[in-house]
Amino acid sequence: MAGNLKSLLARMILAVLLIHALVLPLLSYAMIVVVRNAQEEVFIDHVRIYSRVFADWLQAESGTLSDADIVAGLDSSILGGRCVYAALSKGDSRLFSSLTEPGNSDAFKEDFEFGDHDDSIYFISTPLQLGDEAAVLQLGFDENPTLQEIANAKDAILLIIVIYLLVTVGLVVLLSTLLSRPLNRLRRDSHKIASGDYSRKMAADSSIFEISELTRDLENMRSTLVGINARLEGEIVSREAAEAERRKAEIHLRHMHRLQSIGTLAGGVAHEFNNVLLPLLLYTDLALEDLPADSPVRPNLERVTRLANRAKGLSEQILTFGRPTGETMSVVPDLAPIIDEATSMVSALIPKSVAIETEIEHPVGPVSCNPNEIQQLLVNLCSNAFQAMLDDGGEIRVSAKHCEVSPEFAELHPRLEPGDYVCLTVTDTGEGMDAETLERVFDPFFTTREVGEGTGLGLSVVHGIVVKHNGDIVFSSEVNVGTTVAVYLPLSDE
Amino acid sequence: MTKVIVIDDEEDIRIVLKEIFTRAGYDVRVASSGDEGLDLLREHGADLVITDIIMPGSDGVETAYDIRMEFPQTKIIVMSGGGNTAPLGYEPAAINTTAYLASAEAVGADLTLTKPFDREELLKAVRELTAD
Repeated sequence: MAGNLKSLLARMILAVLLIHALVLPLLSYAMIVVVRNAQEEVFIDHVRIYSRVFADWLQAESGTLSDADIVAGLDSSILGGRCVYAALSKGDSRLFSSLTEPGNSDAFKEDFEFGDHDDSIYFISTPLQLGDEAAVLQLGFDENPTLQEIANAKDAILLIIVIYLLVTVGLVVLLSTLLSRPLNRLRRDSHKIASGDYSRKMAADSSIFEISELTRDLENMRSTLVGINARLEGEIVSREAAEAERRKAEIHLRHMHRLQSIGTLAGGVAHEFNNVLLPLLLYTDLALEDLPADSPVRPNLERVTRLANRAKGLSEQILTFGRPTGETMSVVPDLAPIIDEATSMVSALIPKSVAIETEIEHPVGPVSCNPNEIQQLLVNLCSNAFQAMLDDGGEIRVSAKHCEVSPEFAELHPRLEPGDYVCLTVTDTGEGMDAETLERVFDPFFTTREVGEGTGLGLSVVHGIVVKHNGDIVFSSEVNVGTTVAVYLPLSDE
Repeated sequence: MTKVIVIDDEEDIRIVLKEIFTRAGYDVRVASSGDEGLDLLREHGADLVITDIIMPGSDGVETAYDIRMEFPQTKIIVMSGGGNTAPLGYEPAAINTTAYLASAEAVGADLTLTKPFDREELLKAVRELTAD
């Protein structure tokens, strides 16, 4: 409602009504006064002229007129419808028209203005000479017809004013509707734009100069804004993409830093560990030597040796993660035989419910590498893949092919540089990993397997090997779909 | 009888190595530091010295260097626990023992062994070096 009262239409109607409320009463009052004065003047002129003419006639005929003639004359003035009262004062005597109403016999009061005395009769005295004798003609005229005419004129004026007001309001409604139509169109367009529909064009069609100019200016502003908006959106998208890439690179870098510190820590642990393992193994060896062949202690000591050797293996794995082992690298012209050997080794070890498929380019290389470590890497990755499919079986796909690392890809994986690589991938159809698990896959001793089933060092070792070979490793995984591990090894120039 | 000197700051290692070498028929003496080992060498002489690489005082690299300078004929085996020796989590000052072993070889060590090794491995290496 408040909104409606503030609309252009309501404002214009209110303004017109306000102006007319001030002007029309004054105007109508003035008109009524003018009409009334005009009517009164006409009436009084008429009355005076009539009285004068009647008095002049009496004066002219004074020699011949008897009192009865005078009374007859007075009667005729009443009969003629002009007067309601007629009398003639002559000396001490007064002659009355016999038609004068009884109540009016002594009613005569000199009127100086129309409407005096509230008796609806305008009395006028006209002096005359009847021979030598001075006389006064006294006539009373009915004011009612004139009053009625004034009242009628008043009604007509009010009616005209009401009609005028209605017509004016109608015109205002029409005009403001015509005026507000393009403005409303502009309003709707700007609402759409404000709510995000920047494609909406400002197209209010108006012949009014100001509105068409306003429309054109607003449309120019809109198209400029659309341009700026598109540019800003583009900038935001590219900034967001850059930010996402930066975050990824940062996470990767942080991950690498963490791995490096874990490597250092693990190397320190392994060092101390080996210093303990050496006497443990050797003392047990000496003790075994001293025991008789059938000693009941022997099996226990043999277990100690076996466990210490297992610990030695673990320590070696930790060192593979922590530091390059110092094993020699050589340029291998074709990795295919190495990969084939590793996959046949794996397929001999895993149950038939898991199939191994290979897709290997021949030749795939040359790569500067340590073949044993590449085999260990593949065995570890395949072992993880198999473990992921332990319950339901599935398929492991091992592929090796040449690939080119683009500058964009290299930016996401700072260990890689744009150029030619060999890409080894191991894909499984197992349970997959969630983001949290993916984040920790390289952490030493992190495992998702049951206690006793895995050491949590497999991928740490893989990572150590990949880093040693100046490569990188990329995981992609989806829960309940599977995991793909891609290892990038740089192609050798030699 | 082939004379062997074992240098290691860890008593357990000194004792077990002494026992192994004794049983294998070597004349063996043990020292807990590089300086002590050199004193023993000067006093009794030796065909072979086997020394740990990370020790307080003069470490295995210095010891190997001193022995090589003073006793060019004596064979030297340097052994290490691998990994690195920095305090836990302390980096980047971590000392990579692989690089350390390489340094020892550079100053004249004849062989490096990474702990833990087994008895046969050790005796085989010693036999080869002393040509017994």
